Amino acid sequence: MPAHSAAVGHLLRRAGFGPSASTWVQWAALSYDDAVDRVLAELDAPPPQDPPELDPFKPGTIQDLWLNRMLKAPAGLAEKLTLFWHGHFATSETKFKDAQLMWSQYGLLRAKGSGSFRDLLLGVSKDVAMIRWLDGNSNRVGHANENYARELQELFTLGIGNYTEQDIREIGRAFTGWGSRHHDFVFRDHFHDNGEKTIHGKKGNFGGEDVVDILVHLPACSRHIAGKLLRFFSHPDPSTEEIETLATVFRESKLNIKATLAALFRGEAFRSAAHQRSLVKSPVEFCIGGLRAVGATTVPGWLHGATDRMGQILFRPPSVKGWTSGKGWLSSGAIVERLRAAQRVALLTPETTRANTAGAILSVTLQDEVPAAMQSALDVVAAKIQKAEALAGKSREPMLAAAHAEHIALVLASPEYQLS
Amino acid sequence: MFLHPNDSLSRRNVLAGSLALGGVLALPRLALGDETKTGAPAKTLVLLHLNGGNDGLNTVIPYTDPRYRVLRPSLALDRGRIRKVSDTLGFHPGLQGFEALFRRDRMAVINGVGYPKPNYSHFRSTEIWFTGQPEKTPTYGWFGRTLSAKPSEAPLRGVALQKEQPLSFVSETPGTVTMTDFGRFRIPAGMEAAAKLYGAYGSLGGMRKQVGDAGAQAIQVARRIAKLKNAGGPFYGRIGEDLRKVLALLRADLGVECIQFQMGGYDTHSNQAASHNRLLAQLGNNLNAFQAELDKSGLADRVVTLVVSEFGRRAAENLSGGTDHGSAGPVFLIGKGVAPGFHGAYPSLEDLDRGNFKFTTDFRRVYASVLRAAFRTDPTPILGDFKPLELFA
Repeated sequence: MPAHSAAVGHLLRRAGFGPSASTWVQWAALSYDDAVDRVLAELDAPPPQDPPELDPFKPGTIQDLWLNRMLKAPAGLAEKLTLFWHGHFATSETKFKDAQLMWSQYGLLRAKGSGSFRDLLLGVSKDVAMIRWLDGNSNRVGHANENYARELQELFTLGIGNYTEQDIREIGRAFTGWGSRHHDFVFRDHFHDNGEKTIHGKKGNFGGEDVVDILVHLPACSRHIAGKLLRFFSHPDPSTEEIETLATVFRESKLNIKATLAALFRGEAFRSAAHQRSLVKSPVEFCIGGLRAVGATTVPGWLHGATDRMGQILFRPPSVKGWTSGKGWLSSGAIVERLRAAQRVALLTPETTRANTAGAILSVTLQDEVPAAMQSALDVVAAKIQKAEALAGKSREPMLAAAHAEHIALVLASPEYQLS
Repeated sequence: MFLHPNDSLSRRNVLAGSLALGGVLALPRLALGDETKTGAPAKTLVLLHLNGGNDGLNTVIPYTDPRYRVLRPSLALDRGRIRKVSDTLGFHPGLQGFEALFRRDRMAVINGVGYPKPNYSHFRSTEIWFTGQPEKTPTYGWFGRTLSAKPSEAPLRGVALQKEQPLSFVSETPGTVTMTDFGRFRIPAGMEAAAKLYGAYGSLGGMRKQVGDAGAQAIQVARRIAKLKNAGGPFYGRIGEDLRKVLALLRADLGVECIQFQMGGYDTHSNQAASHNRLLAQLGNNLNAFQAELDKSGLADRVVTLVVSEFGRRAAENLSGGTDHGSAGPVFLIGKGVAPGFHGAYPSLEDLDRGNFKFTTDFRRVYASVLRAAFRTDPTPILGDFKPLELFA
């Protein structure tokens, strides 16, 4: 297999949810640059329409809806980027138990996630799920609630060490009166502190929108966002220099996310051998990638429960800090769940196509890199397949189907496949 | 540089001639000779994190201090209802369980535990507590470093009863697992080839090896854990469910050195009175029942329970009937063989640092004590130069 198709496979794992069984051959025929263009073009397509009968309050509905969008997208960059922002602006429905608000927040991240970071951050600051999550309604003149002011700087824009306790207090004051009524943002003038504030060295009667403008233009903000994009899309340990280079692109593009991602994916470092398979797939990436690889057309109902047991459930991140990464996903309990899910995904492959899928899956998921360790395990399964083929009578087909499923499950459980 | 316990010591402790006084601290009582080389720990540490930042002032209450009612006009507990266990200190009325443990000499209370330059972010302060390294970007956890300092082939040295690995466990030394349910550890039939696969990745480099190692370890421990069943007993609530698992793990005698879990809900920014009462009642009753089970079964000599929180809360209440993020707070060490009573000075309610308590005991002195006595490990290479408190009798 040509080197560029290994790079295209890498791009599809990072910029999406991995190649699907039916489209991999077409992707593999593209040059790397053409593949990047095609992946990025997904960001300009209109988001999918919500089904008219959507009832977000039915448990699991919004999880299934989003997982299905990940499954069905050509590469999936728009959904992958939305997942990135969901982990970045990590909001959990567990606090206020309103799935409608979570689905609205998803819509916001999906619609604004690839444009200007300033507009995205302003949207998030007015997002009702976020306001409920970080106590906006109890932030009033005279008794500020500093929850949003703190996380806004620590997690959403600057990173720890780049603001003072005074910045927190003053930003808290600037956001006083930003609240919600039912499902709508409201500004309550009588709760707003109209006094002068000093925020990152600037003085004025600032409101929340001014704070957004101050924060996004601080160098620490572009570095923080560039670093997080690199760690999510490229590799776990970007150097200061690498971060600064991407932060410069981010600033020069007027904080445009799509332009920043384009530079990231086009950079030589992105596809270097050292960075391929350097990230551990999150449970959602692991499961959706497996379903795409075996050609599943819909997400099975058990899937979001399975990802939960692996440590990730959409719309319920463990804290405002978002999900873990790397080896953090690889607890023993989670690995056993991954084995179980690999088997269940393999068994979703129709029996009639299992032999083909088993053959194709190495190419689809691993781009044919098969180390010796993997090869010897595959040989064991191959021997089982041979044994089944040699059988005659009624037991042959079920034995063969089971052996092919085991082959698929083995690939999905392999260390290579756990890595992105 | 450290304040020594004085005015707030309980009479019981003073009469008992506790070793926690003065210069005795400088000399570790336990010889660090052969005992540090024996594989099995003296005691398994059950580590409970009260997630969200427990309000220390309303947990261990300096009920004679007039400043208490000034700081807490609506949240101060009625003096008559406070569970007074010394001339100056008492437990929250909901802490019936803690009072029982305290009166049975099964509890050491360490007052005013914190660290310099307190951080008021849950995440950062939790990181600091879990790494024991306030000045450093987090890499390894304090228990993770303990594992590395005492290499062992044991596959199951730390268990966290949660989905994600806590930072306290993180190191390059394998041997820790996370779990929420024993039954989920059954290896699915038909996945034997995959299970074997992981072991073959040991010779590869980079992330492939790390995934292979994690996978091989998972298979090994899964086979042992899948067979366990939650223990019975008078436990209730989420913390009770976790204690059933802790007890089952302890009874199975798997050689576990630390079992960590958490109890959430302590981030009481508003309407704290009712929720804090409910939390503390559940905490105390369950831990008291847990210790009773240990005492009954003979496991008591091999287990000690440490209860920490990432910070206490601000001294003064806020205007929403709650309290905001603060600094120092009490830590509890429970078990047979602890030096019972109060340790460390209660922080001043007068001399505050921007509205927050000034810590009187560095949390690493608590860890150092646990490392020395429970793990029989020299704490200095793991934590730096912190004198162990004398928390074990």
